[in-house]
Amino acid sequence: MSTARADRIGLLVLPGLAYLGLIYALPLFLLLLKSFRDATGALSVAEFVQIFGDPLQRSIIARTLRVAFLVTLLALVIAWPTAIVMRSARGGWLSLFLVAIILPMSLGVVVKAFAWSILFRSNGFINQSLMTMNLIDAPIRLLFTETALVIGAANVFLPFMVLPIYAVLQQQDPNLPDAAATLGAGPYRRFFKVIVPLAMPGVVAGCAFVFSMAVSMYVIPSLIIGERQQTVAMQIARSFLFLRNEQLGSSLSTILLLIAVSVVLGSSWLAARLGARQ
Amino acid sequence: MLDRHAPDPGAAPMAAPDAQYLDVVAIRKAFKGVTVMDGLDFRMARGELVSLLGPSGCGKTTLLRIIAGLMQADDGSVILAGRNIASLPPHKRNISVVFQNYALFPHLSVAENVAFGLRARGMSKADAVKPVHEALALVRMQDFAERSITALSGGQQQRIAVARALVVRPHLLLLDEPFSALDRKLRETMQVELKSLLRDRGITGIFVTHDQDEAMGVSDRIAVMNAGRIEQFADPSTLYATPATPFVMDFLGLSTRLSGRVASQEGALVAVDTDLGRLRAPGTLAPGTPVLIGVRPELIRLDGGADMNRVDLVLEDVAILGSKTMLQGRPGAEDRLLCELAGIRNGKSRGDAVSFHWAVEDTLLYDLSAGTTP
Repeated sequence: MSTARADRIGLLVLPGLAYLGLIYALPLFLLLLKSFRDATGALSVAEFVQIFGDPLQRSIIARTLRVAFLVTLLALVIAWPTAIVMRSARGGWLSLFLVAIILPMSLGVVVKAFAWSILFRSNGFINQSLMTMNLIDAPIRLLFTETALVIGAANVFLPFMVLPIYAVLQQQDPNLPDAAATLGAGPYRRFFKVIVPLAMPGVVAGCAFVFSMAVSMYVIPSLIIGERQQTVAMQIARSFLFLRNEQLGSSLSTILLLIAVSVVLGSSWLAARLGARQ
Repeated sequence: MLDRHAPDPGAAPMAAPDAQYLDVVAIRKAFKGVTVMDGLDFRMARGELVSLLGPSGCGKTTLLRIIAGLMQADDGSVILAGRNIASLPPHKRNISVVFQNYALFPHLSVAENVAFGLRARGMSKADAVKPVHEALALVRMQDFAERSITALSGGQQQRIAVARALVVRPHLLLLDEPFSALDRKLRETMQVELKSLLRDRGITGIFVTHDQDEAMGVSDRIAVMNAGRIEQFADPSTLYATPATPFVMDFLGLSTRLSGRVASQEGALVAVDTDLGRLRAPGTLAPGTPVLIGVRPELIRLDGGADMNRVDLVLEDVAILGSKTMLQGRPGAEDRLLCELAGIRNGKSRGDAVSFHWAVEDTLLYDLSAGTTP
């Protein structure tokens, strides 16, 4: 293909670029700009100083990070064995797994959230089971707690953890664990020295997906814990919609964006490092 | 000439002082109810290089995996150096495998790949440095220690796989189609190189291959496998000169094939009537027995005495094969006559009427009445 022709084909990117620039990048830029101005319109970081000086805002940011971390961890713990089983599944079983993982994504979060409330409420399934087994005397509070949020969010984001891990596991040469075995490596060594390191790029990708979604989630916490324990995304919405404090809202947006960007950059750096040899 | 009309399906190993270094006994294996191996025996001596040769699906890879412990036999025992290892997991057998695709660890460097087996045996990183270097030197790859696996060519990867397999000083080395991923020129070089390396180190090794030239080139003995059985187990020249079954004859090189029926017994010879006349072959068979006659193409000449077997035919094809010429005739649907002549200037061409001559004692005779597939 000639360079001129390649250049002309390159022009096809323009509509998409223009769309993204106008509808996405420009408003975001304006929002970010706003966060670095004070009430008079002069450039300033006063809003950030105020946010980080406010114990409430600090606790919201800390909770958001903690929840996102726990959601990622829980999703990883559940996704890993699932992906391992899926790798060795064939035909109908594999289809069943894929459908079971992908289909719930089409079910709205709202429906799921109300389904969980049946599970989590004080006379719900979990409490009743625990009481029947005599593990607890009185119902424990699950609904409107961080625990419920972590469990619920991990459920919603699970596919984004399972699929990348499954993808890397599936690409692994099935001879590698066998080769390790014939070289004298027992099951643990095969797992930790061969299977896990080779799956790391998928694990990193899955964690990055889930963490960046969990750190900015709005609907799930609104439905599960409501206003009681806010996350940064909820606080942003509240700033714009109820407090009419656009300054606070845009500054919090900037903080959230920085967290998301550092997760993406950090994970791609990690993935590149891990993948450098592969 | 051996008595060939009653093919011996079992292995007939050469008697050696420690002929039972590896003794695979009565292996049975079924996949999903289909028996693929029914009482297979296989035995080899220490320091021997043996090939398992056969078409895909003959069970050679299954046998290799059973010996390595990567697959469990349904029944039978695997005795290595006097110990029954049939129930041991692969990591406790001390049997190294060179895989067809080499199965090098892509996340580890060349040196780390070679060190893997030593580290798995509890050797410290520092202690592994010297043996790893020696193993890499053995395959002339010592300058590549810190390279990434993916930066290596196929031939280099194979050397690393061999170094990784040998550094642990295995009781037995198994090689699963080790040359199939290499191009033809490189394959021949690597075969010679690997054979002398294994020979020098006194390694007991089993090659699995479907390539007869490779098996002939690298091994002391070849077990020709077909449908989960060992058809014949012998040294390359015995296999080639006196194949025990038509399958072995066809699998190791080309040959003339003529079907016929025994006419009479004449002393130590059998007279066979074929569509192209009466031929004689060494053997003892009852008159009327359906037989297959085989002759290696290089044993056939265009002229000869009256005491030789002789067939008149019209050449159907003349193929120039570099240093030799292959004359072919197809007198019948199943029959095929091949004559190999040295050189390429012999003035024969398609359509010429010729006579093929060969010595009676060079004639291979197979009894087809036992239900053997021709």
